Amino acid sequence: MNPDWRNNRDLIAGLLFIVLGGLAVVLARDYPFGTTIRMGPGYFPTVLGFILLLFGVTVLARGIRSGEKVKGEWGWKPLALIALSIVLFGALLDRVGMIPAAVAAIVVAAAAGREFRLKEALILAVVMTALSVAVFIYGLKLPYPLLGGYY
Amino acid sequence: MQVFSVTRLLALVLLLGTAQAALAQAPYPAKPVRFIIGFPPGGTNDIVGRLVAPKLSEFLGQQVVVENRGGANTAIASEMFVRMPPDGYTIMMNAPGHATNPSLLKLNFDSVNDFAFITLLAESQNLLVVHPSLPVRSVKELIALSKKRPGDINYGSSGIGTTVHLSAELFQFMTGIKWVHIPYKGGGPGLVALLSGEVSLYFGNVPTVIRQARDGKLRAIATTGAKRTSAAPDIPTVAEAGVPGYEVSTFYGMSAPAKTPRTIIDRLHRDTVRALNAPDVRERLQGLGADPVGNTPEQYTLFMKNEIAKWAKVIKAAGIKGE
Amino acid sequence: MDFLGNLALGFGVAFSLQNLAYCFAGVALGTLIGVLPGVGPLVTIAMLFPITFHLPAIPAIIMLAGIFYGAQYGGSTTSILVNLPGETASAVTCIDGYQMARQGRAGPALATAALASFFAGCVGTLLIALAGPTLGEWALKFGAAEYTALMLMALVASAVMTQGDALKGLAMVVVGLLIGVVGVDVNSGMARYSFGIPELVDGIGFTVVAVGLFAVAEIVSNLESREPRDVYTGKVTGLMPSARDIKDAAWPTVRGTAVGACFGVLPGSGPAISSFATYMLEKKIARDPSRFGRGAIEGVAAPEAANNAAAQTAFIPMLTLGIPATATMALMLAALTLQGIATGPQVMLEKPELFWGLVASMWIGNCLLVVLNLPLVGLWVKLLTVPYRWLFPSIILFCCIGNYSVNNNPFDVYLCAVIGVLGYVLVKLECEPAPLLLGYVLGPLLEENLRRALLIARGDPTVFFTRPLSAVFMIATVLIFVVMVLPAARRMRRRT
Repeated sequence: MNPDWRNNRDLIAGLLFIVLGGLAVVLARDYPFGTTIRMGPGYFPTVLGFILLLFGVTVLARGIRSGEKVKGEWGWKPLALIALSIVLFGALLDRVGMIPAAVAAIVVAAAAGREFRLKEALILAVVMTALSVAVFIYGLKLPYPLLGGYY
Repeated sequence: MQVFSVTRLLALVLLLGTAQAALAQAPYPAKPVRFIIGFPPGGTNDIVGRLVAPKLSEFLGQQVVVENRGGANTAIASEMFVRMPPDGYTIMMNAPGHATNPSLLKLNFDSVNDFAFITLLAESQNLLVVHPSLPVRSVKELIALSKKRPGDINYGSSGIGTTVHLSAELFQFMTGIKWVHIPYKGGGPGLVALLSGEVSLYFGNVPTVIRQARDGKLRAIATTGAKRTSAAPDIPTVAEAGVPGYEVSTFYGMSAPAKTPRTIIDRLHRDTVRALNAPDVRERLQGLGADPVGNTPEQYTLFMKNEIAKWAKVIKAAGIKGE
Repeated sequence: MDFLGNLALGFGVAFSLQNLAYCFAGVALGTLIGVLPGVGPLVTIAMLFPITFHLPAIPAIIMLAGIFYGAQYGGSTTSILVNLPGETASAVTCIDGYQMARQGRAGPALATAALASFFAGCVGTLLIALAGPTLGEWALKFGAAEYTALMLMALVASAVMTQGDALKGLAMVVVGLLIGVVGVDVNSGMARYSFGIPELVDGIGFTVVAVGLFAVAEIVSNLESREPRDVYTGKVTGLMPSARDIKDAAWPTVRGTAVGACFGVLPGSGPAISSFATYMLEKKIARDPSRFGRGAIEGVAAPEAANNAAAQTAFIPMLTLGIPATATMALMLAALTLQGIATGPQVMLEKPELFWGLVASMWIGNCLLVVLNLPLVGLWVKLLTVPYRWLFPSIILFCCIGNYSVNNNPFDVYLCAVIGVLGYVLVKLECEPAPLLLGYVLGPLLEENLRRALLIARGDPTVFFTRPLSAVFMIATVLIFVVMVLPAARRMRRRT
């Protein structure tokens, strides 16, 4: 057994596949299974789930044997910031309009970078927001308010 | 710095507030009107909407902006729509899905009472076509053959719950015959299957199948509307040809959220009917196989109630389940 | 046949100065919007489509053809430059195209893509003019059993897609198949894995998957290490392909064109499968398969040629049968219908000037694409010298707007963030996204057709072997499986 399982590449991949496959099988129990000749909506996903489970176990076993590590480090901070930036855009566009949504998305995304400078990010935000407003709102006539919400 | 921006923000909010108040006093319409379409761009619904919108803008004197919000056969758009302020600045296009969704999905809104129906924009109908290998030439022959070979004839559709599918279910429901449903994903693959003979029967939208019927690749049997279609006046309706009372229409309607003032509804109704009567709009709609209607809000409301009730019956009898 | 006369008629219609201007405008707009990351061809065409509303029929179609090619090529450009496929077909271009860009060879990659597309486009146009109706009939030979067999064959062959670990590659295909299951089941109408969320009833859209899996994962991987490293090498070696590049890319282009032209005719799945298929083929017959995935120019030329040839022959079922093969085609069909052009078997006879005008304008659209894009290659390559810290937030913003604009629903944007997290984790675990995408595309088709075939055959499984075309694919599937498993088995035996 490899004590440092946290960074064991294939062990984590195998676990992930097992979880996904297991989830697929469990959720598919709500759908009629049918028979091989007359398959119900549950047939295909259940079979796929089991196949994925099988792959997962094999990958996991190989991970335990080889103990190969994940290359490089995990970028949790940039991942969180990029995801946040995307979510912010979606949440803000409906409520306060295109301009604040775009500015927020750019600034938060830029914060994920290594050499983040607030001033530079703000300038970038202004330029890109102006560009996207010009292209999408004025050019392509997408019906989003610049400022202000829908509701 | 912090305090300063807060006061600025407050001032801005106040300013926006007064602007809003001023708008409320101005006569309708004082700002652009959003026209919501419950499908992504490119479908027939979208095209009908985009045909009507510019003409309606002309008569209203305000821009009518088409906005697509696709998903779940208009249910996603409706769910957002019914929460909109009933001020006439948001209107929506209704499609057959509006009448069938109550029987297929769990909805968070009331398909009749949450809407103020304005007018039926246009109606189109389906054409019952068969592959030439199926030895029938009329509705009566089709019924006779189906009775002789129950559960043997395959019919195709563009998906479960579409008017293509439901036209066939209503036909079976009213005549007591039994076919096998082979659903396809969208009208394109469904038509290919019919042309290749994989399925023998299909209720296609008139403009999509009329050419192949004229060309002899398919045989036209009957149309599903209450009246014969202007695109092919020689083809009888199903009702005429042996199933009295049978009627399926693919419709395009316009509604506002419930509680929209009657004066605004009347204004929208008047200008929409004018837009529908414009020759170029009329001509392009007919090119899509849709006949412009433009009935009154009362007629449209009644129409919608009848449609919902009709499909509830058929969907229950056919055992179709959504969620 | 008076084929030349017809073509001359077509060019006579299309070759007015006004029409050329519309075509050029279409290509330019299509490229410029399509090149925005996260804005795929379908979205581009949908956005630009209203512009053609008020034009007369012929200029409108010509402009649309321009938009269509521009949008497609714009999608390929983002695949190469920032690893973001605009549609399924260009996902394959990402694999080697993006690696070339990182090595400072974005110029040759882009130029090769344009030239290979142009070659394939010319062949495709000729095919439509010469054999359109015959090829249209070919599409009718494909029933549910044939599709099932074809999909099985593609799935078995998909192991070739993976660069490193075949086992994890296959697992990724299965994950993709499962993502494809989300949404309403075509055969029963039941919503699966939708968790009661109405937005999931329609399934997970391509843009959402592509942006999350490719763009987000790639950007985060580039940002993860604390010490700065260059995403793109600063050194740009040549804007145009060298003589060696052209020699390397020539045959793959021809083969890609052939594969694409055959698959493109099949409604629904053709264009997407063709680029995967041709990539697998090239990798299998290459003298040194290990070059693939590290910036092999064949890996750009072949799928791009296939993609474009398929896009071209995808017009065949539409023109001769009146049936749109893909969502993009459905949009084009809608545009034609709106112009009062009923497509179908008769259009060639009734309105020859329209039919041949369209054929000619497709060629012109292709041609103008090269004219416009070869000079632009320099500009796109310049774009990569923009500091990455400015580039990636802009990519994220455009991806968000592109995703949002499909349904105007924030849910798609949220979902994209979730898929992005999953995508990054998978990349870290060295699981490749391309096989997942293949599974995601094939999954619904396989299940749908398998169940349909059995339904039509009333449950008789021999249907897959009694229909000749289906039997051929089934045998080929078994052969491919044996060819792939044998060397591995031999290696195992030698080891023990």
